[in-house]
Amino acid sequence: MKHTTKIYLTPTPVRIWHWLNALGIITLCATGAQIRFPEKVHLFGTFKSAVALHNTAGIVVAISFVLWLGYYLLVARSLVKLYVPNQEDLQHGILRQAWFYFFNFFRGKPNPHHTTPESKFNPMQKAAYLVIMMVLVPLVIVSGFLIMNIGPMREVLLLAGGLKLMVGLHFLLACSLTAFIFTHVYLATLGHTPFAHFVPMWTGWEEVEPSSTDAHH
Amino acid sequence: MLGLAALTLATAPAFGAMESEDCAGCHSDRDSMDGKLFIDQERFAGTEHGGMGCTSCHGDISDQHPDDGLVPGKASCGDCHDQVAAEYARSNHGSSAACNDCHNPHEARGASQVSGYDMNKQCANCHETEDMTEVHAKWLPQAGVHIQNLPCVTCHSASENYVITLYVNRRAGGDAYGEFAPASHEELQQLSGEQDVAKMIDTNGNSFITLDELKAFNRDPRYKTMRLAGMMTPEVVTHDFTTLDNRWDCTFCHASGPAAMQTSYLSLPQQDGSQDRYGVEKGAVLHALYGTPDFYMMGATRSKALNIAGIMIIAGGMVMPIGHGTLRFLTRKNRRDH
Repeated sequence: MKHTTKIYLTPTPVRIWHWLNALGIITLCATGAQIRFPEKVHLFGTFKSAVALHNTAGIVVAISFVLWLGYYLLVARSLVKLYVPNQEDLQHGILRQAWFYFFNFFRGKPNPHHTTPESKFNPMQKAAYLVIMMVLVPLVIVSGFLIMNIGPMREVLLLAGGLKLMVGLHFLLACSLTAFIFTHVYLATLGHTPFAHFVPMWTGWEEVEPSSTDAHH
Repeated sequence: MLGLAALTLATAPAFGAMESEDCAGCHSDRDSMDGKLFIDQERFAGTEHGGMGCTSCHGDISDQHPDDGLVPGKASCGDCHDQVAAEYARSNHGSSAACNDCHNPHEARGASQVSGYDMNKQCANCHETEDMTEVHAKWLPQAGVHIQNLPCVTCHSASENYVITLYVNRRAGGDAYGEFAPASHEELQQLSGEQDVAKMIDTNGNSFITLDELKAFNRDPRYKTMRLAGMMTPEVVTHDFTTLDNRWDCTFCHASGPAAMQTSYLSLPQQDGSQDRYGVEKGAVLHALYGTPDFYMMGATRSKALNIAGIMIIAGGMVMPIGHGTLRFLTRKNRRDH
């Protein structure tokens, strides 16, 4: 039997935020599909209820994002350390991690990244989350806000190239986040057991192998 | 038949009665004619009524007018428009407003020659826009956007279908930050210079607007103070002012799909106060960027190109689960000892 230790990886506020976001984003994707293809998708009853739910979920996710940003920036003060790739990550870490995921993983080699509460993410995750949380999510929130408030935000919409451009951007960003969900859930099964990374997102504690740890979350 | 007979009797001109030109001699003089007595000849001439001549409706006028001191009579609208009058009389409006409370008979035109904005002005004479926004907001999301961008009769009439009509809106006074309002013919003429107003968009002058012409107009910096606004306008306007059940359902417009967005028109104000419609290339309003940058209707004006791009992005997200997952399954033995 292998020797494993438990580390407290995911604090309670982050876990609440994560699952609130998960529910919110899945709701947004499903209601968004009905809003864009109302004659084909009827998941949430009437078009009006789909719009109402989409708007509500959008506001919840937007507030949740602001709280997340505030928590990591002002309370935990670990945003930069956890999410911004450092020089070593950029020079070697990302390549090393990619080499592991796309080659060494299949050969049964260990994950080069060792999870600790101070270094939760491997270099590839850092880069991916940085783009998602600092670019895609803020843009989808801002574009959604503008589309929800066409009247008062008219001048901003015109400045940005018009309503249709904004809606197109919102749609493509939403597709990107949907694509992220598939990749995200799949990568989460790459722990030392398929559910090793799911448990800490619920309990906070992750079981790690000291010699060959691997983490996704 | 009865209507026609009544009209003939009511409008039979007295012997030696005045011709329309005689009437215009005085009634086109804005200085000497007050209020309703002034008839804008240019506007009147473009109407169906204008072609019929003044005495068709004011048949009892004498040669001594106005010295005889008599106020000439006028035909009833129902004499000709008997079916419309009967339909209107049965409506909620029938007891509240007479025909000429909404329609000036000297300027009245067919629905396609009146802009959605002008139609709504008539409604707003009694139903103030702010009040209507408040009333609709009780059940209609984005009530303000709907009220401002739709003719009331799109929902409050028994028209089965609608088309998209594009109007040119312009910043007030050409001010870079002025409020947008429907551009008048004079304003457009000022911007187009010596050329015909329509040539600003219909550059080849064939009275048909292509997607390329729309794109060129929307991108032209000379026209940056103008934007095209799209409205869903009914093709047939009924006077029963009923609200069909399907108008309470957002899907009537929003789930009509791109198929309903194929037919659109550009409507430009003319010198005589009417609107002239130009056919627009099929599906032009669905273009993702420059076809109609400000006209978007959820669920209907979606771009096919963007849909394909979106599906490819989502499919890209499935590359990891499917591709990596397959290799992972095939190489599972390599990780068994680890």
